[in-house]
Amino acid sequence: MSEQVEHLIRKDYAAGFHTAIDTETLPPGLNEDVVRFISAKKKEPEWLLEWRLQAFRAWQEMEEPDWAHLNYTAPDYQAISYFSTPKSMEDRPQSLDEVDPKLLETYEKLGIPLHEQEMLAGVAMDVVFDSVSVVTTFREKLAEAGVLFCSISEAVEKYPELVKKYLGSVVPQKDNYFAALNSAVFSDGSFVYIPKGVRCPMELSTYFRINEQNTGQFERTLIIAEEGSHVSYLEGCTAPMRDENQLHAAVVELVANDNAEIKYSTVQNWYPGDEEGKGGIYNFVTKRGVCHTSAKISWTQVETGSAVTWKYPSCVLRGDNSVGEFYSVALTNNYQQADTGTKMIHIGKNTRSTIISKGISAGKSQNVYRGLVRMNPGADGARNYTQCDSLLIGDRCGAHTFPYIESKNPSAVIEHEATTSKVSDDQMFLCQQRGLDPEKAVSMIVNGFCREVFKELPMEFAVEAGKLLEVSLEGSVG
Amino acid sequence: MGVLQTRVLELAEQQSAPDWLSGLREQGAERFAATPWPTRRTEHWKYTPLAGLAKKVLTPSETSSVDFQSVASVQSPAYRLVFVNGVFAESLSDSLPAEITLLASANAEQSALIQQHLGRLADSREHLFAALSESTLEQGALIYVQAGQQLDKPIYLLNYSTGDAAQLSSTRHLVVLGEGAEAEIIEQFNTDSDQQNNLVASYTEIVMAANAKCKHYRLNLEGEGITHVGGVFVELGRDAQFNGFAFAKGAELIRNDYVLTHRGSGAHVDLNGVYLPRGKQVVDYHTNIQHCVPHCTSSEVFRGIIGDRAKAVFNGRIHIHQDAQKTLAELSNKNLLTSNKAEVDTKPELEIYADDVRCAHGATVAQLDDESLYYLQTRGIDKDQAQIMISFGFINELIQGIENSAVVDFLLPIIAQQFGRSESLLQMEA
Amino acid sequence: MLTIDKLCARVEEKEILKGLNLTVKPGEVHAIMGPNGAGKSTLGSVLAGREAFEVTGGSVTFNQQNLLELDVEARAHLGLFLAFQYPVEIPGVSNMEFLKASVDAVRKAQDKSELSSVEFMKMAREASKQVKLDQAFLKRGVNEGFSGGEKKRNEILQMMLLEPSLCILDETDSGLDIDALQTVADGVNAMRDTERSFIVVTHYQRLLDYIVPDYVHVLADGKIVKSGDKSLAKELEAKGYGWLEGEVA
Repeated sequence: MSEQVEHLIRKDYAAGFHTAIDTETLPPGLNEDVVRFISAKKKEPEWLLEWRLQAFRAWQEMEEPDWAHLNYTAPDYQAISYFSTPKSMEDRPQSLDEVDPKLLETYEKLGIPLHEQEMLAGVAMDVVFDSVSVVTTFREKLAEAGVLFCSISEAVEKYPELVKKYLGSVVPQKDNYFAALNSAVFSDGSFVYIPKGVRCPMELSTYFRINEQNTGQFERTLIIAEEGSHVSYLEGCTAPMRDENQLHAAVVELVANDNAEIKYSTVQNWYPGDEEGKGGIYNFVTKRGVCHTSAKISWTQVETGSAVTWKYPSCVLRGDNSVGEFYSVALTNNYQQADTGTKMIHIGKNTRSTIISKGISAGKSQNVYRGLVRMNPGADGARNYTQCDSLLIGDRCGAHTFPYIESKNPSAVIEHEATTSKVSDDQMFLCQQRGLDPEKAVSMIVNGFCREVFKELPMEFAVEAGKLLEVSLEGSVG
Repeated sequence: MGVLQTRVLELAEQQSAPDWLSGLREQGAERFAATPWPTRRTEHWKYTPLAGLAKKVLTPSETSSVDFQSVASVQSPAYRLVFVNGVFAESLSDSLPAEITLLASANAEQSALIQQHLGRLADSREHLFAALSESTLEQGALIYVQAGQQLDKPIYLLNYSTGDAAQLSSTRHLVVLGEGAEAEIIEQFNTDSDQQNNLVASYTEIVMAANAKCKHYRLNLEGEGITHVGGVFVELGRDAQFNGFAFAKGAELIRNDYVLTHRGSGAHVDLNGVYLPRGKQVVDYHTNIQHCVPHCTSSEVFRGIIGDRAKAVFNGRIHIHQDAQKTLAELSNKNLLTSNKAEVDTKPELEIYADDVRCAHGATVAQLDDESLYYLQTRGIDKDQAQIMISFGFINELIQGIENSAVVDFLLPIIAQQFGRSESLLQMEA
Repeated sequence: MLTIDKLCARVEEKEILKGLNLTVKPGEVHAIMGPNGAGKSTLGSVLAGREAFEVTGGSVTFNQQNLLELDVEARAHLGLFLAFQYPVEIPGVSNMEFLKASVDAVRKAQDKSELSSVEFMKMAREASKQVKLDQAFLKRGVNEGFSGGEKKRNEILQMMLLEPSLCILDETDSGLDIDALQTVADGVNAMRDTERSFIVVTHYQRLLDYIVPDYVHVLADGKIVKSGDKSLAKELEAKGYGWLEGEVA
């Protein structure tokens, strides 16, 4: 890649490419026939079709939620196409050599060449290009450990009992408007199963891409960690530049059985729209995990992308002594809007949760932390600690904090703290006096502000996340 | 439309206030009829169910002869205005200075002031029960202190509910303080028994010009049968200072909205509150501090102790508007749950559109600290008393922070009683 | 006055005291020394009745009563006083209110007459003078914002007002400078008489220069492994605790 091209990438949206690959795309619109088409296309069993149809019928009765601090034009759900698959994928490539070269080229531009990825850090990649799994590597190594890591479509085919047992067990079909939509039309996503007592030998990672115009993305991820097992899962996303807003409504379900631990890390940098607020992804995600006895789920997210973000990775602390964690950095710039946070539902005794949220607002963006901490009557001795800090860069943005705290147990202890501050003139002066340009100074200060969260990320991600903030903050000062 | 709504509108029709108030009343009635009854999905009523209230059957308010001597009150010289079931009781009230007028007997100048301000702060489009109050507008006082003046005594607004039937006790007060004017206002709500089940709706609007100072107390001491909806809406001009204190024992339901708006730079709000619901009582405070201009400050501390099957709701919003640079705002809400069946729902909110500000809020929910209990027990203090001492310590700072010592003296025995103890325990404080 | 027989206790499954014996007669001062983690502080907590400490064996008789079956406050009423190593802060509860409530409760249990507010204030002021604690501290929240030394003086102040028959000082010397140490020791010495006994728990010999004990015991691994007179303390100072390891085994 020439230096010039590289410069361009850095200057504008670094992932702003559109790959021209023929796809088999359904015309826009949503009705029962579309749901049947998707199910048939994926050769799904009858029960799953029925499950989808139930969700679809429920969705039709539901209303799009309007309680979030978000201002956007609701997508026209009939103008979206609900299925597309790269044509060259009809026959799955058996190795990387068989992968469409254009596809590989796109990833290269994004800086994630698969060949290197394979070797680097032992990361297994389940790459989703639009809606269908393209390639899966490191299968064998995982298989040795008994770990199942494949697309959800494949899991439906190969492990129907597991899918049937757990699909919708954490996020029911009718949970909310977007989850219902996803349940009806989900295209593909990842499936992970860690058997009892197994420590997954490598970080599992999936990169998502949204590629086709007017293609909604409805990923469905299901991770099951059996008793005493351990898994760390990385999710990263990029999307090409586009003018129309794109809808994304994913569902992620985590099940941590007794003594299991799931660490779920996300770096999300979908296209946020341009400086005028034009374009960008609409991201309405439902992520939730259930912790059984002494289990632990840790969500770490770095959110810098999307025009609109609606996302509350949550933990249901059902088992005694279970632990939930949420570490989040959400950065908004230009006209971005984010309404994000978490829910910690304490049901079991001595359950613990920690929430660390760092919101950074720049430009004309709006950044909301919205959280729920609930202590149920049986949550004896439960503890929550929440810290929400907001940083404002510029005087045209907004930073908001809406924590809901509900307690029905006197022995539960909840502590919530929130602060708001700006990048101070003194800090800027010091950095600049030491020779840093303003952008570098801000990025450094912001990185410092986020350190508590970054240290929770796997190493490779932490570096990436830092860079991402820098890119996302471009143009926010001066 | 529910039983209550229909009845309120009928009662509104029967009001006999002067004609110049009829415009406001009609507006209130329209809005009260048009506003959907809140449900669990209504954000500001999420934790406070109103289904029971919707079905409440009201009779018109009537003044009965009252043994008012038995009502405990703050021992301080004051201009006392007594409202019985929402109706002004002249025989129980002091003669009023020129600064205080009943709404219904306002002269031309005063009525102009009322028309200018009443309903401006307590927006009946946004607050269902402010619409109710507006629709039944008749009883209440205008307190107007001209520029540079101050009253020599506090104004003491006593609201008393009595009788067997559930009546609507609706009062509305407007306070206008001219530039540099000062006033101290104590609002107190009592009932004759725990069976008394009036719906008390009482809204107070306070308009403060530059440099005005206002000390305000709102003491909800009603019995368990009462439903109280009301609020205090304040607008602060440049360098104005509002110092507020809220106290609620708990009742069937007490919902108070505080909305304080900084309109002039340099203004300051201090708002503290204590709530102590027990039994099946419900207390709900919604506070909203609006920083619209630069260089203003606000400090807010609410603490509650919730026992038995009681429930407390606290929603504390700080809203910093786009140009309100250099704002300093702090809010703290701490809660103690002393029973397995007690519940608290708290939501401190920050909504910030300016960058050069310092804002912080904190909220905690916990029970009494075991360590402290043990320490007191090793000193020979039995567990019950130790619990009460620590509970009292938890709110003591706020009680001791009250400037008017007569109010402190008045509240201490009430607090002791709410803790189920004789007042002797707290006498050391005096 | 106090007889501890084969006392065993644990905290969260961990055995801390493993058969401790100790007899204290009226008027005696016993020093208990030992390495960190030996169970020194546990002893005080178990005697005072702290909930987290579970007695798993043995007995404790105090003033002819079975101490172990009494509530925390009942033990205080009997005349047992524990000066905390880390006195707790109780915001909002004024020191004066706390002291009065405490003195009232103990005196009532001991069938002594209740003190009037005036009498009590007088006593409290005198005591605070004696421990060199400014009277302003009486009005502040219990230990709230007190320095380490002020907290310890406040403990001694309470001890003076409650007039206990057995005082347990749990590492009262930790975190004190020489002046404060002297003040605390003066307070203790002023209270010594033929009836009142003391158990002084400490890691360092230093405190015992000021409060001279009748007996010195070494507590290691949950048991008293050596007893002697005050010269034992000097010996420990010189040799450390290491040389006792043989005795433990």
